[in-house]
Amino acid sequence: MEGTTPISTLPAKNMLHPQPGFIARLLRVREFALIVMILVIGGGLHLITGRFFTTPNLNAISLGFATSAIIVFGMTAALVSGGFDLSVGSVFAMGGVTAALALRADIPIPLAMLCGVGAGVAAGIVNGFLITQVQINPFITTLGMLGIARGVSLAVTEGSPLAELPTEFFVFGQGRDILGIPNLILIALAVILIGDILMRRSSAFRQIYYVGGNEEAARLSGINVNRVKFGVYILSASLAAFAGVLSVSRFTVADPGTGVGEELRIIAACIIGGCSLRGGKGTVIGGLLGLIFVGFINNGMILLRVPVYWQQLSMGVVLLLAVGFDTLSQRWQISSRGKKAGPATS
Amino acid sequence: MNRRDFLKRSSLVTAAGMLASHGVSLAKAQTDQTYYMVAFLSGIDYWKDCARGMMDAAEFLGVEAVYTGTPEYDITAEVRVLEETIAQEPDGILLTVINPEALQPTIDSAIDSGLPIVTFDADSPLSKRYSFLGTGNYAAGVMGARYIGPLLSAGDQAAVITVPSQGNLLERTQGFLNTLATEYPDIITGDSFIVDNQNSAEGAAMGLSALLQVETNIKGVFSTNALAAIGAAQALRENGLSDSVAHIGFDYDEGTLDLIDSGELGATLAQGTWQMGFWGLMFAYMVRNEMIESVSDWQAAGISPLPPYVDTGVVVINQSNSQYWRSAE
Repeated sequence: MEGTTPISTLPAKNMLHPQPGFIARLLRVREFALIVMILVIGGGLHLITGRFFTTPNLNAISLGFATSAIIVFGMTAALVSGGFDLSVGSVFAMGGVTAALALRADIPIPLAMLCGVGAGVAAGIVNGFLITQVQINPFITTLGMLGIARGVSLAVTEGSPLAELPTEFFVFGQGRDILGIPNLILIALAVILIGDILMRRSSAFRQIYYVGGNEEAARLSGINVNRVKFGVYILSASLAAFAGVLSVSRFTVADPGTGVGEELRIIAACIIGGCSLRGGKGTVIGGLLGLIFVGFINNGMILLRVPVYWQQLSMGVVLLLAVGFDTLSQRWQISSRGKKAGPATS
Repeated sequence: MNRRDFLKRSSLVTAAGMLASHGVSLAKAQTDQTYYMVAFLSGIDYWKDCARGMMDAAEFLGVEAVYTGTPEYDITAEVRVLEETIAQEPDGILLTVINPEALQPTIDSAIDSGLPIVTFDADSPLSKRYSFLGTGNYAAGVMGARYIGPLLSAGDQAAVITVPSQGNLLERTQGFLNTLATEYPDIITGDSFIVDNQNSAEGAAMGLSALLQVETNIKGVFSTNALAAIGAAQALRENGLSDSVAHIGFDYDEGTLDLIDSGELGATLAQGTWQMGFWGLMFAYMVRNEMIESVSDWQAAGISPLPPYVDTGVVVINQSNSQYWRSAE
């Protein structure tokens, strides 16, 4: 028996590659680090100011990014598919302007809102067609749409904001119909939750990950890549237009100049939340957490009375520190997992 | 007759009287002349009244007027459009300047070639432009403080919603804060009460809402642009403070006029934008047609025949007069 290892002394398979516990699995979730950072920032701000976790303040923060959160769903899909949509800020304005024009033409409110979303669908169809059929780069296509949508808004309004809208329309942006929570926040949460569930569970939406992860492999496995991309750009633009309609409902006026720079804020939030610019990676909840993170820092600057002239600088530094820390911790986790697993050939 | 018509007609009468007065010779209408207005962010509502003033002056003088510019906030783009406009060989240009230094060489070379250029709203003061017509932004901020000041009590706080990186808005802010500090020293305000609205209504609403959480005695708000006013009004509404906080805005559009009429915005300060366009074209026309003899030969003397700076002022729009600014076009 010498030289032979008794079977009973052989390590079990799960001892060679032990299944990670709950905490370990939690630590591996991309969003977990962001949630921790958000809680630390929020807790710190509350300890210092005593006013962070108050209903009015959380309301103010949530209202501040509610319309952006709606756009996050579409932008996450675009980023996961390996592209991005630079036109969301302009489509946001165009959706609002279109709905306002329809309302001023005495079109019923639901139909007028649909007109606004329809303007976004039209922009998405153009984007999708140019990207998938004419094979124009998403950057150039959506940059062009950024100009076109803004131009349409300016042309039809001749630059003038549109007001004098029916007050019943303002219920979406200003109402508090359930437990006193602003309707706008509830709508945004619903969109985010539906978006996240679809992106995680729906086989149609899962195809976006396959396309973004490896387009050629997705094509060979039978996925209609062009159809997936086409749908992504329609989704992104229609959600941006919907957010624009809700913004008009909140502020009671459709400004053709609104939404400038929104695309960069949304892309930044999605990247902070774990989306990859190379595609195939990212979640809707992650994008929302990115928005919350940025919203908390913005809010914190004011609560901490950081002079307004220093806020941009402070914001940039904090963002880079946070993303840098997150990236390094992810890398550390991957390398420590690699060490624990040992060489692949062993 | 509404206020706009009154201003327009009185300006036309004044213009006719001025042309007939000593030192100015009334020439026959130059119907073959074309004047351009060049603006950056040319699609925004703000320039509409400037262009309307120019068109009214053009109609009065019997000349053609063209509104042009670049839709972007881009120095290079405005320089390019200005150079392209100069290449059209117009008879005069009304120019609003995105950056004083960047446009100076083009302005100077056009003036040297005999083309009259008058700046409006935003100036290039070191250039050879004949005159500048615009709002004294610091003075406008002073007016804002003198509106808010009497409405507040000792110990009350006042906030400013603005874009700190924008020079003209910063001047308004400084005029407001300095005046409150000197004339109403018991009102608490200062740099720590400035909110950056990031050029959006959303930014104004979010920023003011946050400030209201830590400063609970804010009783006055000065919004230095129309978007800030819309966002700040929404923040006050969402915090249930519309009735207890005095709020004054700057500039106007349908949205701000609605807020004034609903009582959510006490007043707004309107700039003399029509005046800029109207008198700007009158100035360029008079130089182009050599109608001014302030001295025997101003060209040889190396001076401008026009006043170098004209403050077109601001007026207060409130519930009592807001109707005159509604869709007067």
